[in-house]
Amino acid sequence: METEGKKRVWEEYQKEIADDHYFYVRSCIRQTFFPGSETTFLKILQNDLKKDVFEDARHTTCTGIGYHTDIVPLETTMTVIARHFALMTEAGYVNIIPSCVTSFGLYTEVLDTWRHFPEIEAKIREYLWKATKREFKVPENLVHTSDIIYKFRNRIKDLSKVSLINKKTGLPLNVVEHIGCHYSKMFPQSGVGGAEFPAVLTGMIEAWGGTVIDYPERRHCCGFGFRQYLVKANRGYSVSNSKKKFESMQPYQPDFMVANCPGCSMFLDRWQYTIAEMEGITYDSNGTGIPVLTYEEMAGLVMGYSPWDIGLQMHQVSVEPLLDKLGIEYKKEDKYLGSNGQNIGEPQKPMFLIV
Amino acid sequence: MAINSQHIVIIGGGPAGLEAASCLGTAGYRVTVLEKEKQTGGKLLIWDKLFPEFRNSDKVLNHLSNGFKTNPPQILTNAEVVSVIPENGQHRINLRDGQAFQADTVLITTGFKLYNAEKKEEYGYQIYENVITSFDLEKQLKTGNPIRIEAGLTPRRIAFIHCVGSRDIKSGNIYCSRTCCITGVKQAIEIKRRLSDAEVFNFYMDLRMFGQNFEELYIEAQQKWGVTFIRGRVSEIAENKDNSLQLKAEDTLSGRPIKMSFDLVVLLAGMVPEPRTVEIGKSAGLEFTSGNFLAGLDSHISQNETNTPGIFIAGTCREPLSVAETLTDARAATVKMISWLRENETSHKKPLIKRDND
Amino acid sequence: MGKLYDRLNQDIRFIEGLNGCLNCGVCTAICPAAEFYHYDPRVICATVQSKDEKMIEALIRSETIWYCGECMSCKTRCPRNNTPGFVIMALRKLSQELGYFTDSEKGRQQFAIKRAIGGNILRTGYCVNPDIVSPQMHPEQGPVWDWISMNTPEIMKKMGSNYKQAGVGGMRAIAPEVLEELDRIFEVTGCYTLFDTIEKHSKHKANELGIEISDEGIGNEYFMTVYTENNGSHNG
Repeated sequence: METEGKKRVWEEYQKEIADDHYFYVRSCIRQTFFPGSETTFLKILQNDLKKDVFEDARHTTCTGIGYHTDIVPLETTMTVIARHFALMTEAGYVNIIPSCVTSFGLYTEVLDTWRHFPEIEAKIREYLWKATKREFKVPENLVHTSDIIYKFRNRIKDLSKVSLINKKTGLPLNVVEHIGCHYSKMFPQSGVGGAEFPAVLTGMIEAWGGTVIDYPERRHCCGFGFRQYLVKANRGYSVSNSKKKFESMQPYQPDFMVANCPGCSMFLDRWQYTIAEMEGITYDSNGTGIPVLTYEEMAGLVMGYSPWDIGLQMHQVSVEPLLDKLGIEYKKEDKYLGSNGQNIGEPQKPMFLIV
Repeated sequence: MAINSQHIVIIGGGPAGLEAASCLGTAGYRVTVLEKEKQTGGKLLIWDKLFPEFRNSDKVLNHLSNGFKTNPPQILTNAEVVSVIPENGQHRINLRDGQAFQADTVLITTGFKLYNAEKKEEYGYQIYENVITSFDLEKQLKTGNPIRIEAGLTPRRIAFIHCVGSRDIKSGNIYCSRTCCITGVKQAIEIKRRLSDAEVFNFYMDLRMFGQNFEELYIEAQQKWGVTFIRGRVSEIAENKDNSLQLKAEDTLSGRPIKMSFDLVVLLAGMVPEPRTVEIGKSAGLEFTSGNFLAGLDSHISQNETNTPGIFIAGTCREPLSVAETLTDARAATVKMISWLRENETSHKKPLIKRDND
Repeated sequence: MGKLYDRLNQDIRFIEGLNGCLNCGVCTAICPAAEFYHYDPRVICATVQSKDEKMIEALIRSETIWYCGECMSCKTRCPRNNTPGFVIMALRKLSQELGYFTDSEKGRQQFAIKRAIGGNILRTGYCVNPDIVSPQMHPEQGPVWDWISMNTPEIMKKMGSNYKQAGVGGMRAIAPEVLEELDRIFEVTGCYTLFDTIEKHSKHKANELGIEISDEGIGNEYFMTVYTENNGSHNG
């Protein structure tokens, strides 16, 4: 593989990422499944990089999952997003950073549609005024939170305590990166590196010492498919798409996966468990599965944060094999303790997947 | 023979320029050919065999130089034209090195450039080592050496991908490059001739077999050589661990997505205008087609004349054409040029070069 | 009621999504749904493009339009800048507006999604929160999720979330006045009209099938039926 060719592709897709003063909007899925990731993101931005990140308690879901399951009309979603623009405007910010890739994709789509059809923007302004008496300016800079970490990857490297290197062998870890479909497949120009060879996670991984695996099904969807996961009868769609990716990446023996989309990172974790229990298969050589990190968790580990503070105990696939490779010290017995160190019980062991 | 003193400059010494030079020379005109490379012949120098009868490209090159037996043109190589400026009813042709030529009429035959297949990112050209273009393959065929992939092995499964950078709004080229279809058929047969055990596939949207004996060649590829044709545009190419390539398309005739692996993938990259053609065209005030080729005055009756009187165009600088069509087009252009020169001879402001019997 | 094609053409996603399809198949080639279901986004575009009213009606009454996962991978590749995923969204909207969605097993699931996700948005201000991911309904979430479900407030606290509390932070309680704003947006922008349409046709279908259906919530037989039913005829 020729990396020079990839670099030429990346040069085509350099997007502007604001340097500071961000209006932050959270992700429903991220808050539910890996809430430590958003906390870690804010800690890195605010405490370590001294950036101004503002959160308004009045922001809500963007309705993205409702929109992409077709129960929420486009006008409704646009108006809810317009309300977030209004909150941003009221707070005196111009840079908006959604934590969710579905939200980021929708915000991008909404702004693109308004550019092509100004009459729709005018209609949405009317709706918002009628419903909430709010007005807004469109953001000057819209980027996903993974773009922010990408932008500061070298600063993070300077502050880092851990590299993505196998401590025993001294070799870079093999990393599978997974980009959420709605990050750049709809609007390649909106993603760092475009749609075919996105650089947003690759940039972090390489800056922090790891090697990226380009496996044949790299670009394939994790299989969320909105209604295809949410409705129990359809879940075969979801698991079979993830399975296809696992089978494709297996020969490269990845040390871990990392995703920039809240849904993807959860599914890539959970479906390994499901497949292990249903079929007795894992995609690593030890029966523990391939650990999956969010990019915030990856950044947190690099920054030297404790694995149990950033929430790695909320993963079904054990992260300990990865922590061992990274040479990160941790106490196994602390993994499932409560906020004050109290015992709150432990998860049961799966039948097949080794934890 | 009597040499007409009117001076014709032909920009570009490829098949169109050379064919036009020999016609105009035979008709008694004084012709200068300006070729930017160190050698004339254009893309014919790259091409090994020509469709549909697998004639060696040398034969056409020989034909072209044979045309110069009477009244040969003056040929300048390493002569890169940067602009053509109207001047006193004539045209001033400026070269990169500062030289300038004066001409009564100009024929632009600057040819085409191969579409930069890197721009179709999903195919991984220049990223995945066993993805090559039809040009790359042709160069390899021309060496006469056995066909090998990057690792030095003999490829067993080879795919040809049609419409790379053609019929593709996203890549900026809406038009059809026309000759890639038959090139894919020709090159598939050449591979089968050399590697009879290889499995060869063509992935296409439509096979536009417009020329004489093209359809026959397509049938031959299927029946005699066992080349497989799948109607579906390739959606993506990815690299497997062994550096073979995984290709995804839909077999649109059976309506199913397909995923196949190949040792070698050949991209049939389309034709785009040479950047310097655009530069020259702009300097001369010419109009362009939607694909940024040089535009003829009328798409039916005067393809070779332009909106600037005295400037003519021929060959693939005005639209994608085959070699045969390019030669025909060049000859057609010369007829229009001769008519124009005759019409403009009497009203010529500049005195003609004095002949002995004047 | 105008022609179906004309009604599709009023949807901005349809206008943006279909600019003349040349039937090349790049969308189907990489479509996650096409690999899993009897599904071909290219054929959907060809059918709609035909403007054949009978075929369009059959399509929006069919299982087919519900197979797409809206990953939008098709948008990246199309050489004509089409988005079959947008075409699907317009077809689904029309299918719901006309009540045709209850003709298909996959279409009937809209009722479950409306009750679960739609209800959750209005109740909590989130599409998804821990409360609606019950281990019973989500066995694939595994024992770690069971443990999280049993200890949600404590684990959320440990993760630095502001679980169900006022103020900023993860999984915070969304204030009643904010939910009222959402409610008014849903009213003004026609979301409730769509909700009512889904409810009306679903109730009609439930009665027709003789399955119990409640006025709200997910604790009814019709919900469980459409949520779990799979006749096994959708795949290749």
